Amino acid sequence: MRFNFWFFLVEALKNVRLNLLMSITAVTTTFICILVFGLGLLVSAHIQGVIGSVRQDVSVEAFMPNASSDQLDALAQKVRGWPEVAKVTEVSQEQAFAEFKDKFKDQPDLYRDLDQSVFPPSVQIQLKDPSEANDVAEKLKQEGFTEDNLSYPQQTIDRLNSVTSYVIWGLYGATLLFLIASVLLISNAIRLSIFARRKEIEVMKLVGASDSFVRTPFVFEGLLQGLVGAGLAAFAVVWINYLFVDWAHNDLPYVPISSDAVNAPFVLVVLVAVGVGIGVIGSFLSVTRFLRKI
Amino acid sequence: MIRFNNVTKVYGNDTVALERVNLEINAGEFVFLVGASGSGKSTMVRLILKEMEPSAGSIYVNGTKLSSVPRRRIPRLRRDIGCVFQDFKLLPNKTAAENVAYAMEVTGQRRRTIRTKVPQILDLVGLSGKMGKYPEQLSGGEQQRVSIARAFVSQPPILVADEPTGNLDPNTSVGIMQLLHRINRIGTTVLVATHDREMVDVMRKRVVALEDGRIVRDKVRGAYADEV
Ligand SMILES: Nc1ncnc2c1ncn2[C@@H]1O[C@H](COP(=O)(O)OP(=O)(O)OP(=O)(O)O)[C@@H](O)[C@H]1O
Ligand SMILES: [Mg+2]
Repeated sequence: MRFNFWFFLVEALKNVRLNLLMSITAVTTTFICILVFGLGLLVSAHIQGVIGSVRQDVSVEAFMPNASSDQLDALAQKVRGWPEVAKVTEVSQEQAFAEFKDKFKDQPDLYRDLDQSVFPPSVQIQLKDPSEANDVAEKLKQEGFTEDNLSYPQQTIDRLNSVTSYVIWGLYGATLLFLIASVLLISNAIRLSIFARRKEIEVMKLVGASDSFVRTPFVFEGLLQGLVGAGLAAFAVVWINYLFVDWAHNDLPYVPISSDAVNAPFVLVVLVAVGVGIGVIGSFLSVTRFLRKI
Repeated sequence: MIRFNNVTKVYGNDTVALERVNLEINAGEFVFLVGASGSGKSTMVRLILKEMEPSAGSIYVNGTKLSSVPRRRIPRLRRDIGCVFQDFKLLPNKTAAENVAYAMEVTGQRRRTIRTKVPQILDLVGLSGKMGKYPEQLSGGEQQRVSIARAFVSQPPILVADEPTGNLDPNTSVGIMQLLHRINRIGTTVLVATHDREMVDVMRKRVVALEDGRIVRDKVRGAYADEV
């Protein structure tokens, strides 16, 4: 038998028109699910992006609270001799405070009541290669530095991970729940529309329609609903991402958030594919289950 | 063409709808199946369409033993049996022409064939002016003509009708019967289950009478009731 694409498409479109309310429900459900799923993708992509850019950081800071400038000099001198090191800068208490004030010059409240003694003097070490940061941190620990007196990328990454892993797992959990909910809601919407038309389906079977002939328009219907719902959600996600990156650039200039962290065409394709998959699988399963009963 | 071999059908545990029915209908015959309400006529029709399985015995349609037809081959079986029902069973969201076309679409026929065949068959049943009307815009008799057109459009070797005139007035019924008669004359085997005494008596065809699930009479050129 020839597969008549246009016949099935037209049948599906007629179904959508006849069950407009049901279709809107299914499309809305898909939209919300894919939106949540997409926002989950965005958040984890940006976290990965931030971690990636921290990893590219080539600086290690060694803080020396209460150290004299001679002690600073001595450390700087020693570190300069290490092969991984490109450049060493000593930062005194006054310089550290000045840098802080400069960094937050828009928010003077932050430092109005601070004394420069809270800022310990430090030695800032620029490395030749970011991958050597851990080795250098290790060597500094052998020199008597504790974890608390060091700042290096892996430490930042570990701290970031310990906070964000909860966020990411929460998002994955929510996404999974929403995906399950959307499969259920969509197959339920389709089951209702099948139930409303069960007499018709019985008649179709009586005049000799095969299961797949009856099922195909419903699967097309599910596909169209998935496509529309997921397509709208995917564009919303990409748009939200654009707004977010723009906002972050203006309001969080020190957090390395980049529009490169999210591959927009990839996100669009994945989200639409997931939505279409949900629509097709949901409709296929519910029609098949119904057809088995008659 | 249709053969019942010792067929028994029991619904649930205790409703015996058919009991040891033996019947042979040959190709090209026109047969009336008569009997009181509840005597088992619809049950026989549904068995022929393999809407359900007999409790015992076997049924042959067009040379095929129905119990050996797997579920997925039922559609093909039904394409060889046109069926007409008391309640017409038209698709409400399709026009007269689309309803007839649907029976051709399920068999994967070409659009061009469908476009030429549908108006011809609707013309044949006298509905050429109502092709674009939906079932709810048609009278009962007109709907029944559409359903006969749909049953017959693929020219199946067998046509079964379960009380095709049950919802129609006598004059309309005559028209429907004439239509079935014409279909039979071009070689189709026709089985009509009916209460319509007058019609059966006028047509003088083979009459098979059921009573409480048993065949009590089978007469060529018979009447609805026993002639004294
Ligand atoms: N689905 C069913 N479940 C249980 N019993 C049934 C079912 N269908 C029919 N019956 C019973 O089987 C018997 C025969 O029913 P059937 O429908 O074949 O009669 P019929 O001759 O077509 O009657 P009518 O002229 O009223 O249409 C009846 O006693 C009926 O109650
Ligand atoms: Mg009946």
